[in-house]
Amino acid sequence: MATRDKYLWGAAVAAAALSACATGTLGDPPGSGKTSGPEMPPVEPQGFKPPAPSLRRLLARQYRSSVRDLLGDAAAAAADPPADSSLNGFDAIGSAQLGVSDDAVTKYEDSARAVATAAMGDTARIATFLSCDPMAPADATACRKDFAKTFGRLAFRRPLDPEEIDRYAGVAETASTELGDFNSGIEYAILAFLESPSFLYQVEIGGVDPARPTLRRLDGYELASRMSFFLVGSTPSPALLDAAEKGTLNDAAGARAAAKALLAKPEARAALDSFYGEFLRLRDLDSVVKDASAFPLFTPKLAQAMREETLHLIDDIVWDQNGDYRDVLDADYTFVNGDLAELYGLPKPAGDGSGFIKVQLPEEQKRGGLLGQASFLSLFSHAAISSPTLRGKFVRERLLCQAIPAPPANVNTVLPTDPNAKTAREKLSVHQTAPACKSCHQAMDLIGFGLENYDGIGAFRTTENGETIDPKTDAAGIGAFDGAKSLGTLLRDQQGVTSCMVRNIFRGATGHIDTPGEEPVLKELDQSFTDSGYHLQDLMVELVASDAFRLVGVVE
Amino acid sequence: MAKLILNRRTMLRGMLAGSAVALGLPTLEAMLGSHGTAFADGTPLPRRLVTWFFGNGVRLDRWVPKIQGAGYELTEELAPLAKVKDYCSVLTGFNNKAGYGRRGHHDGVAGAFSGYPFIALDPGNSNYSSKFGGPSIDQVAATAIAKKSPTYLPSLQLGVSKRVTTGEGPTLQYLAHKGPDQPLPSEYNPQVAFAKLFGSFVPKDDHSTKLRVTALDAVREDAKRLQMRVGASDKMRLEAHMESIYLLQKQILAIPPVCMKPGQPVENNKDINGDEPLLAVSKAMADIIAVAFACDLTRVVSLQQSGSVGGTVYWMTGATVEEHGLTHDANQQELVHQAVVFNMGCYAYLLEKLKSMPEGPGNILDNSVVYLGSDAAEGLTHSCFDQPVIVAGRGGGDLVYPGVHYRSDSDENTTDVLLSVLKTIDPTATEVGADQGYSNTPCKALTA
Repeated sequence: MATRDKYLWGAAVAAAALSACATGTLGDPPGSGKTSGPEMPPVEPQGFKPPAPSLRRLLARQYRSSVRDLLGDAAAAAADPPADSSLNGFDAIGSAQLGVSDDAVTKYEDSARAVATAAMGDTARIATFLSCDPMAPADATACRKDFAKTFGRLAFRRPLDPEEIDRYAGVAETASTELGDFNSGIEYAILAFLESPSFLYQVEIGGVDPARPTLRRLDGYELASRMSFFLVGSTPSPALLDAAEKGTLNDAAGARAAAKALLAKPEARAALDSFYGEFLRLRDLDSVVKDASAFPLFTPKLAQAMREETLHLIDDIVWDQNGDYRDVLDADYTFVNGDLAELYGLPKPAGDGSGFIKVQLPEEQKRGGLLGQASFLSLFSHAAISSPTLRGKFVRERLLCQAIPAPPANVNTVLPTDPNAKTAREKLSVHQTAPACKSCHQAMDLIGFGLENYDGIGAFRTTENGETIDPKTDAAGIGAFDGAKSLGTLLRDQQGVTSCMVRNIFRGATGHIDTPGEEPVLKELDQSFTDSGYHLQDLMVELVASDAFRLVGVVE
Repeated sequence: MAKLILNRRTMLRGMLAGSAVALGLPTLEAMLGSHGTAFADGTPLPRRLVTWFFGNGVRLDRWVPKIQGAGYELTEELAPLAKVKDYCSVLTGFNNKAGYGRRGHHDGVAGAFSGYPFIALDPGNSNYSSKFGGPSIDQVAATAIAKKSPTYLPSLQLGVSKRVTTGEGPTLQYLAHKGPDQPLPSEYNPQVAFAKLFGSFVPKDDHSTKLRVTALDAVREDAKRLQMRVGASDKMRLEAHMESIYLLQKQILAIPPVCMKPGQPVENNKDINGDEPLLAVSKAMADIIAVAFACDLTRVVSLQQSGSVGGTVYWMTGATVEEHGLTHDANQQELVHQAVVFNMGCYAYLLEKLKSMPEGPGNILDNSVVYLGSDAAEGLTHSCFDQPVIVAGRGGGDLVYPGVHYRSDSDENTTDVLLSVLKTIDPTATEVGADQGYSNTPCKALTA
């Protein structure tokens, strides 16, 4: 480690994060000890202690997909759930901790009403939940109960008990009586089902694992939901619920087989895209603002193309090739449409330029992988200029799982004005030397300086304000590099990068930050990820099969 | 401005599980006692609270008046308040003690709007987030009002600039917080905000209202059962969920309020060529607040003019990049100043609007407090000492009038100001905040 600065800020700053900058532990991957040193053989997960489970409100996208799977496309188009709130970088974590507001509950009702009305238009699908002819039900009461039982099992992702069946059949009966027709009853029952906490929350309570009575595992239905929402972003299919009912999800082998089947579905790609939308903040490209005078090329359409470029590369590596995930960091090719080709100075694809084609990256631009893509380079820049700090912060926090503390309070963060400073490196020089700044800024900026040949929207440049940019740098714990590809190549061989990926996938999948009690299992996953040749699909399967995914602590 | 026309109906009640649900009535001359300062039955006129936030602080050298007392001068950044100066007390030299130097902006907004130090969510190697340490002051007030004289909406959360910071947790993203785990999102679209309040003016078809309530009854039963199986914090989350369902049931059953339905706003907060229509939206929101107060549909509003940190571009000042970046650029402080002036113009518009609405012998601003604050003194240092604070409105006569500039020379706590503000709504309140931010001493300078 190069950063050994012992300066401590006077202000009280989050101790763990501060010590990361001040004592030079940056660069140590989470939970894996030091980067150097002999590989540890895989060990039994001794000391494994999963945290207590919590209710996880369906994310807005999971809600929409669930409505689509339950009631069809017209119903899904009517769905309009409240927005998510993220914590620690993931919506899933916010949804496991935060409570709903009055507004959210009102929105759920509005949405459920609109969905129920739209759903009734699809008489063929509604008929699949009915044991009678809705126009002439022979035994309306029995038929309503059958509906509550059949539809309720799908909506709640578990069987209903008799009390619940009576309750929802009762809603249908009240409405049927009031409005004088059977179908209206069904519509109100759907409304009630979709407003219920049993639909809106993933309920993960668990029970004693008969094979290992000291541990608690999710029951089959709970696990079916957890893996389905994780892998395909939606409610478990009837087949998966049947598997839960039969008990085939109760061991690692059963979970593994079910996970593989889910990953074979086309929805798995969309679910992973959603994860990357959050993880890489690609979804923020919708609202990114650029200074039009500095970047006349930048348009909302270009921003969308940037997002798609990154997803194309990930799709290609993870799904089309099922290759080494680390190629995302330094692939020597990418996917461009006409707008992106113009930005990168590449020949335009044939046709109207809206389609994406695979292209080899020109060597002189030193691009390769995510960190040379316009999505990352634009997102982690200011409106008018690039930001070595934001780019470096992303690499440290998101790719290496190293927290960077905020600047100390009450420090004047205004950079001195130096008319001779032309390049970002020159303008930021005080951050490399001032005692209050340098320990953290060196960790961030020394990464970003190596990407200065890409401007605030990712176009290649060799000068800034008339002065030649020096893109050579040496970042603590990473090494010397110049440009995106050489950085990506250094990062791909860092164990910190791959174990950070394991943890980020885990956080998104389970809705909580990994706890020390889960480290033994996560370390096993690190090893299996390595053994698989860094195949992300394999990692997701092994994650689902692992104790960290299937077991929970005692409800507190 | 067009005068709001009210028409009277006799009763404003719905039935829920056998109990009457009363909604507030707008204040009509005929309903007031002989002095006009209270209803004929002695019930005082409604008191209201608006919390009004803008991000990234001010330029202190162009904000702080030199003169103290009622004769204070309007500095460059206070100049937009000219027409309502008598209603404005400017408090300087206060210390946001709840924001004791852990993380810029987070400290500032959580302390200045709740009096509780924020809760850091920083588990080592994941992204930093934080949440409020306790309820924001508007929610404390809303809870007090809901107990005594519930309104159609307990409170309303509005936002103007959509470019708020979403990546660092609820503290920076939202202004109103019922508690640490219950942030209340802002509504940015004036048309939607309007519908929230005035959608209920549409006469309801009796079948659907009754059946919607029936469906929600079933849902509440479900929630109750689930509550027995989950852990302590989830019990609280479900409790909040059930309370919201109960409130929704009351709203569904409520008989339309008696105000003449005002015109639907045309503004919907869509960017125009990439620029946010900040002025038009802020004014539309102010108009909505005024009519919501006049019709007594709510008594508590939070308004997030721009986010803490955030990505707001004050294009009308000539700025082409986001305000937060400008605050950290020594060469751009003039633009920062102009953004403050712009924001103060929007704040002044709201005050003028409330002042223009007659109520009893005076106006709605007489019976309101509009608390203005930010998340730092100046954006460039993130300092929590001398954050901008204005208390506008007479709080039903509890607050000093005409307004003063008071500069503390004794390190007074901004939470003292929150307590004074709260006491105009709930005279029994004795404390606000906790830990470093705790106060049980109202701000003397504000007392009438």
